[in-house]
Amino acid sequence: MNLDYSIVVNKLPLLLEGCWVTLEISFFSLLLGMVFGTAGALCRLSANPVLNRLAFLYVWIIRGTPVMVQLFILYFGLPQLGIKLSSMTAGVFGLAVNTGAYITEIIRAGIQAVDKGQLEASMSLGMNYRQSMTRIIGPQAAKICIPPLVNQYIMTLKNSSIASLVTITELFRTGEQIIYTTFRSFEVYTVVAVLYLIMNSIFMIAADKLEKGLARR
Amino acid sequence: MNSLVEMKKVRKTFGAVEVLKDFNLQLQEGERVVIIGPSGSGKSTVLRCINQLEPIQSGCIHFAGEPVTRQTDLCALRMQIGMVFQRFNLFPHKTALENVTEAPMVVKGISRATAEQEALRLLAKVGLSDKTANYPRELSGGQQQRVAIARALAMNPKIMLFDEPTSALDPELVGEVLLTMKELAEDGMTMVVVTHEMSFAREVADRVIFMDQGMIVEQGSPVEVFERPRHERTKAFLKRIHH
Ligand SMILES: Nc1ncnc2c1ncn2[C@@H]1O[C@H](COP(=O)(O)OP(=O)(O)O)[C@@H](O)[C@H]1O
Ligand SMILES: [Mg+2]
Repeated sequence: MNLDYSIVVNKLPLLLEGCWVTLEISFFSLLLGMVFGTAGALCRLSANPVLNRLAFLYVWIIRGTPVMVQLFILYFGLPQLGIKLSSMTAGVFGLAVNTGAYITEIIRAGIQAVDKGQLEASMSLGMNYRQSMTRIIGPQAAKICIPPLVNQYIMTLKNSSIASLVTITELFRTGEQIIYTTFRSFEVYTVVAVLYLIMNSIFMIAADKLEKGLARR
Repeated sequence: MNSLVEMKKVRKTFGAVEVLKDFNLQLQEGERVVIIGPSGSGKSTVLRCINQLEPIQSGCIHFAGEPVTRQTDLCALRMQIGMVFQRFNLFPHKTALENVTEAPMVVKGISRATAEQEALRLLAKVGLSDKTANYPRELSGGQQQRVAIARALAMNPKIMLFDEPTSALDPELVGEVLLTMKELAEDGMTMVVVTHEMSFAREVADRVIFMDQGMIVEQGSPVEVFERPRHERTKAFLKRIHH
């Protein structure tokens, strides 16, 4: 057994660049996913049957199909219909649509977990739906949503490795390219794994701090 | 006499269950009414219909002379009707002071400084000047309920509805909340109180209403209803709660 990590260390700048792209993809798809998820949850809870059905369909389809197939439809499928997306657009948008469906369910459950008395109390004081949502229900739901959202963020960061399949050179793909030239699969993949772990850990620690900070309030 | 609230032939159903049937009620300005009745008789539903937390199936409700219709701005209506809940329903992420200032600032657009000044006055009135910075979970049930009363008063309502305000409290905390409510009555507030606190009803109520199965069985002064109930159902109910 001859393990040689010096080769990987030499390639560390490349891998760090890959990390940066991974963070970029994750950040933008989470940001957009939060928008989709919040809108989805509000539609799911809305009295309007059309919005309600649409949100239901969205969640149903996305959760019931593999994220890889979703990305392939966007990147390799759509050009056939004359819609050509860059790999970055397809990757970020696809991951956002995917994570947005899960976030829809997380936020919907969070809002529903807030005591019904809170909406009644705010309405009895003359607040309208939007005011109760933003001032009273939202902040309480947000607190409930943090643990499952953290989970979802971690999933998205890991899922971003699938973006390598639509030719985005993020961390995983960078690793593969290094293996093509060095044939050091074990060393490269383990380092790639450690880098994912570090990125997620930083995020988990930050989320933990945030959660503890909010719990004190 | 001005009637502040008038419910005429109100019918309220939940699915197939008819909770209020042909319900009629008139409340004069300044009147203090206590509603009693067995659990499930529709007492909470009456209060919730008055402030439109529950839509009604038929009949009509007038508030301050105006009929409540589809065109009625419900937020503007509810602003004038304070409500105190059995389980307080304070906003857990806000301090006592913020609980009281929230609606005036958000709904009426009153400045923070003005809202806080008024909130401090109200919290002093309910005896909680030293708890303004505390979160609800740091307060006893009695203190929470008094914050809830101050919160409702902050909107300067024309009427206050109390839905079993002391039922969720430990017995030793009931007194402080009832005292606050008595003071409110002395100030001339129009009040509808669902409660089983007979001493409060005797002392404060102009009128006691006994409800059963979605209907008013009888009503009258506290003495009339408590000492000389005319209906068997009232007698049976009073007997039960005195034990
Ligand atoms: N949201 C609801 N959905 C279905 N049934 C309800 C609802 N709220 C109240 N009810 C029913 O209406 C009846 C009257 O309830 P309520 O007004 O709460 O009675 P009370 O306050 O006198 O105990 C009860 O039978 C109760 O089960
Ligand atoms: Mg009740």
